[in-house]
Amino acid sequence: MAAFLAAASGRAPLPRLFSRGILALVLGVYTIYQLGPFLWLATMSVRTTAEISADPYAWPSPMHLDQFRTAWVDSDFATYFWNSTMVVVGAVAVLTFIGAAAAHALARYRFRGNRLIYGILFSSIIFPPQITLISLYQILVDYNLYNSLFGLALVYISLQLPLTVYLLEGFFARIPQDLFDAAKMDGYGDLEIFWRIVLPVGMPAIATTLILNFIQLWNEFLFAVVLITDPDKRTLPIGIRAFMGDHFQDIGMIATGVMISVIPVIVVYVFFSEKLIRGMTAGAIK
Amino acid sequence: MAVVKLDKIVKRYGGGGPVVVEDVDLTIDDGEFMVLLGPSGCGKSTTLRMIAGLESISGGTLSIDGRVVNDVPAKDRDIAMVFQSYALYPHMSVADNLAFGLRRRSIPGGEIERRVKEVAAILGLAPLLARKPSALSGGQRQRVALGRAMVREPQVFLFDEPLSNLDAALRVNTRSEIIKQHHRLGSTMIYVTHDQVEAMTMGTRICVMNAGKVAQIGAPLDVYWQPANTFVARFLGSPPMNLMDATLTAATRRASSPALDAPLARWSDGVLQARDGRKVTLGVRAEDMAIDPAALDGAPGGRVTGRTIAVEPLGAETLLLLELPGGGEITARLPRHVTAAPDQEVELFFRADAAYLFDVETGDAIAPLETGAAAVRAAVQRRTH
Repeated sequence: MAAFLAAASGRAPLPRLFSRGILALVLGVYTIYQLGPFLWLATMSVRTTAEISADPYAWPSPMHLDQFRTAWVDSDFATYFWNSTMVVVGAVAVLTFIGAAAAHALARYRFRGNRLIYGILFSSIIFPPQITLISLYQILVDYNLYNSLFGLALVYISLQLPLTVYLLEGFFARIPQDLFDAAKMDGYGDLEIFWRIVLPVGMPAIATTLILNFIQLWNEFLFAVVLITDPDKRTLPIGIRAFMGDHFQDIGMIATGVMISVIPVIVVYVFFSEKLIRGMTAGAIK
Repeated sequence: MAVVKLDKIVKRYGGGGPVVVEDVDLTIDDGEFMVLLGPSGCGKSTTLRMIAGLESISGGTLSIDGRVVNDVPAKDRDIAMVFQSYALYPHMSVADNLAFGLRRRSIPGGEIERRVKEVAAILGLAPLLARKPSALSGGQRQRVALGRAMVREPQVFLFDEPLSNLDAALRVNTRSEIIKQHHRLGSTMIYVTHDQVEAMTMGTRICVMNAGKVAQIGAPLDVYWQPANTFVARFLGSPPMNLMDATLTAATRRASSPALDAPLARWSDGVLQARDGRKVTLGVRAEDMAIDPAALDGAPGGRVTGRTIAVEPLGAETLLLLELPGGGEITARLPRHVTAAPDQEVELFFRADAAYLFDVETGDAIAPLETGAAAVRAAVQRRTH
């Protein structure tokens, strides 16, 4: 009866208001929990290390925005940023294309060894990537790719390819066979079908792997620090480490460096997550 | 316009895998609407996909207008296909879906636009051209799928159960639409379905398939009234034809069992003599059964007795299900006022010319004296109610 009266008067019934209130509270707490450290980092990025040491949680006053200029120009962050962009964008582009092509082949074509290849790829996801570090180091040295951004990009591609293929294969396998048959009847060959049907229809999955790979590789530290020693070829995560000495850590500049490195990740996520949602709401074909 | 000829077509999966289509011989004439009809797994869709070029052919010859196309890719066969799932490209608008196949064939942009608009106008899709498939209803999607085939102006249209995903009302409308377009275009069309109503109402001829083989080919009424075997007899018709075991006596020209006694007026003495004293299967369609002997108009008739299992009043008619004393069930389609108590003994009557005879072992029909158009005409004019 209460629900009926509330509906008649145009108000939401009390139980629903209560549950919505609880939901809003939980979401609010979770948002603060997630966003808090980031905001703290943002405040530290415009404070000096001395100010942070005096009061870690104080509001920045004055704001030392010049720290961004110092990091970008004096501490070679522009070079690190460019290096990271070259390696990660290149690796992600190749990963996306090769991963999608391989996933399409594994999902769509019956050939001898199909499941064997899939099994080998899948098994490489299970093992921690660190176990390949020493052998990869030796291989890169042997092929004159050590201390090279191209070599690092190749390593990144090999590291992320199995997961990319695994995720995309699962999605591509669910694209109805009738779509491929219809495109064949419309006169298209295998490569055109991949380009004109598989990639657009698979865009939600492709966007997902693209975001995952970008974030993973943009923040990758271990392989970069082992395989790159030349200061001019450092990527952003190694560049930030330069502010960490044995006896002194420049917290303010580290925070500034992290903020610089985080911005592209946010941009990529915002741009592609919209594509992702749009793709997911495109609807089924039946 | 094209003649499609299947000559001993075989489909086998893998080297020594199972044979799913076996020695199919079928010629579809220019402008004909051929329906491939059969239960799930009978090989009808596989046959259609071999014609389309989507499945390889393991044996036999497929030709279109005399040109052997066994190894010709799907895109070069000049065939369009409408799929059960519609198979519309979800990322493209209706207009792009319609134009997709034309763009591949290097047709000038102006001509593509003209054809798309023409087909859209014919199928009532003009207001929907900018929409994505996800924003269309099931019926609209099916019309786009049909339009995508029509816009190509192909030699042959193939339909793979195109109405299966539609609700009953839309199915009737879309069925009429396809028939209308067949009359308008006059193209050769091959249509796969498991729905006998679609087959009876749409087909110029029906090819009934069972277990990968052709069971019978013929005009819908020919197949219905002159089934070649017990499979076709049971598959076409709802309720299916009643089949009853009986023993044939040539001297009295009767087939009989404890529950059944039927005069055999339609068969020659020679045919009956050859089976004298042997078991046969006697078939009578549910609509040829009557509960009132007056329905026989004094003509010689048969009778069958059983106990009521169920009475199903359908409004316009009543279905009566009986269990026969020797085992087996039969169904009679009777006037709507008929009622019967459960487990009540009921006697049903049928005209002698409504009975069919089948060989017990092979299931093949035993040919009567009168066949062809005359037999169909007689069957259509036969009245029992």
